[in-house]
Amino acid sequence: MNAELVFFGKRLDMAQRHRRRVLVVLVYAALAALMIAQIHWRIAGAYLFWLILLACRLFLGGYYSGGLVKLFNEKSPMRPDVPPPLHLLKLRVYEPVPGANGESYRNDERELHQRDRAHYRAYQIIAVAMLVPWGYSAMRLKPNLLGWIPLSPDALYYGLMMAIVTLMFTLPQAILLWTEPDMEAD
Amino acid sequence: MQGNDSRPSAPGESGLFNRIAVLRAERGVSRQELADAIGVNYQTIGFLERGDYGPSLKLAFQIAEYFGLPVEAIFSVRPFKPLSEQVYGTRAAQAAPKTKSEESQ
Repeated sequence: MNAELVFFGKRLDMAQRHRRRVLVVLVYAALAALMIAQIHWRIAGAYLFWLILLACRLFLGGYYSGGLVKLFNEKSPMRPDVPPPLHLLKLRVYEPVPGANGESYRNDERELHQRDRAHYRAYQIIAVAMLVPWGYSAMRLKPNLLGWIPLSPDALYYGLMMAIVTLMFTLPQAILLWTEPDMEAD
Repeated sequence: MQGNDSRPSAPGESGLFNRIAVLRAERGVSRQELADAIGVNYQTIGFLERGDYGPSLKLAFQIAEYFGLPVEAIFSVRPFKPLSEQVYGTRAAQAAPKTKSEESQ
């Protein structure tokens, strides 16, 4: 895990666990607000999906370089010959923290162990979360049970599925950011 | 983890005692230098020193090779004896005042 987040060219120290926890809460609060807005104004879910990927890219990492959690797939981050358009516009939204030996994107064996454990815990949580839409679909067969919910059944079902998709893409990183202790200075 | 200190300490989550911190201090090696030499994150050295992470056999041998010591001199499943006791064990034991139970025997 990286100890710094580079955001708009500014280095933010995230070595302290409480800071990482605040970041996780903020990201989930923003995504939840967007999800509610999306259901309320019936915006296409694709926008939320792109925002989830952006949250990974800017803050959480894992599936993209640029966030706090190192790449899960252990592949070297792509370094295109041509600078990305945002860099040309001088909008350095994100920038991976350069490592001392150029291998900083790699997870060592402890980090790989933590990564696998976080995925296992995320899998357990998502498996339980999947019971909610499943139970909801079962309850839809008896409409009088769900009459008190102020949303159309389809909108609610869509919202639940969107929440689970959000968890699928963000939960392993969130668990890592939440549980890793404070990083010590050398 | 336990080093030269005479007090026994808990082995952390790994159940493994080690002398990495002592060896590092003795040789004036920083966590970053050790981490770079064995190809891990410097945070991992902290986890190893506290005994919160049990290294793989490969990593344990890399650490042993770096310090030029056998693996069992660095890692143990039992607490290490304080170095003072190891070096001056016999004399220290003789000099130590006997307990009441020893006297009664």
